[in-house]
Order: sequence, then structure tokens, then C-alpha cells
Amino acid sequence: MRPALEPGDWLLLDPTVQAWPRRGAIVVVREPASELLVVKRVAARPGDMVRWLDRPTRLGVDQAWLLGDDDARSIDSRTYGPVEQHRLVGRAWFRHGPIHRIGRL
Amino acid sequence: MSRLSEFLAPKTVVRAHCDVPCGIYDPAGAVTAARTVARMVELIGQIEPGSTALADRNKFVRCVTVKEQHAELVKHEVQIIWSDYFKPEHLAANPDLHTKVWNLLKLAGKNKQSIDAEAAAQLEASVKEFAEIFWSTKK
Repeated sequence: MRPALEPGDWLLLDPTVQAWPRRGAIVVVREPASELLVVKRVAARPGDMVRWLDRPTRLGVDQAWLLGDDDARSIDSRTYGPVEQHRLVGRAWFRHGPIHRIGRL
Repeated sequence: MSRLSEFLAPKTVVRAHCDVPCGIYDPAGAVTAARTVARMVELIGQIEPGSTALADRNKFVRCVTVKEQHAELVKHEVQIIWSDYFKPEHLAANPDLHTKVWNLLKLAGKNKQSIDAEAAAQLEASVKEFAEIFWSTKK
């Protein structure tokens, strides 16, 4: 997620989000298949069109398209496809450490 | 102060990548391993046929062992890149990727089973082609 996030950043999450946040928001999700907690950016929301498996696809009512910022290396929706909302853990909204990087995301 | 920072420090780690945080993939390891397999076949061929000299028997066993290990290494390295690195868009540009990898892995198996210079050369060529496909996705 460079340059927005660096390894070692401390993030505050809003776990109360009821739906996929706006495009561009940074979210933590439980990754499909691996079940790891990962941080990605919302690239498209329910109802949006995305290209998946080489054809245009409309995202379902609880689906989002998540991308990492490191385009070439990120493992994201391009690998595992649309992500269901039950996998959403929270929205990262504030960085409270390290001290010189404190601020809103 | 240390108590405070302990209190503020996150308790959970989230990742930006799934397993390799730096996302470093390189087919060079597979290329070298395939080259090693071919070289071992060459060295085995240079041993005097029928020789029972200890030095020759030792060399034979060592070469076969290294051939076996490096053929396995080819499979491992190629499989990692195949499963973890390649994305659907790469597959769209290289629709025969799966078939090529499948044949490559079988060829690696064949090189374990036999001492066959031609199979070793084919393995080297297949791995080289796999590496070229990998680098073509980086352009």
C-alpha cells in the first residue's frame, strides 16, 4: 500500500461500518481463501462495473472491488475477484503512529 | 511513556500483501536449476561406462543426487511463480500458460526418472521460455 501506508504504521479502524465505504477509502478485510487480515483500497462499490476474468462484470449488492496501491505487486481483487461485505472488518481512518506520520487517512 | 505507547500500539497486524511482503518473484532460480540438471547429465555421461572405481561410483551417485534435487527445485520455483504471481490478466495475454507449465513440470519429472540429454535440453528450453513469459508481464 505504499506510499499511502508504510510497514509499521499504526492504524485506527472504524469497525462499525455497515456498508462498503466510498471509493478510495482504505479498508481492512479478511482475505478470501487465505483468511488473512489485509489492507486494501476500495476501487469499486456495489453496482459498479469492473473487468473480471476478461469480461465486464457488475458488482453485486454486497460486493466491492479492492486494489492495493502497489499496482504491479499487490495481490488483490485482480487475483481473487470481488469481495463480499461479510469480509469487511473495518475502515482505516487515522494513523496514530509512528509519531512523524500521524494524521487522517 | 513506554506504558502509554504500549497502550496505543496496535494489537493486530494487517498485511498489504498475502505472503511475500515485498512481492519479489524471479524465475532465475528455476533457470539455474534447469541448467544444473543438464550439466549433471553431461557429467554422468563422462564417467567411464562400467567403471567400478570408488571415485567414479562416488561421482555418479553425487551427480544423480544433484540432478534429482535440482529437477525438484525447478518444479518448486516454477510452481510458486505460476500459482502466486500470475494473475488473470497475464493469462489473457498468455492463454497457453497452464499447458506450458504443465508440460514443464512433467518434463522435470522425466529428468528425475532418466539420464537423458535431450530431455534435459528440453527442460532448459521450457524454463527459459517460462522466464521470458514472466518478464514479458513486467514490461
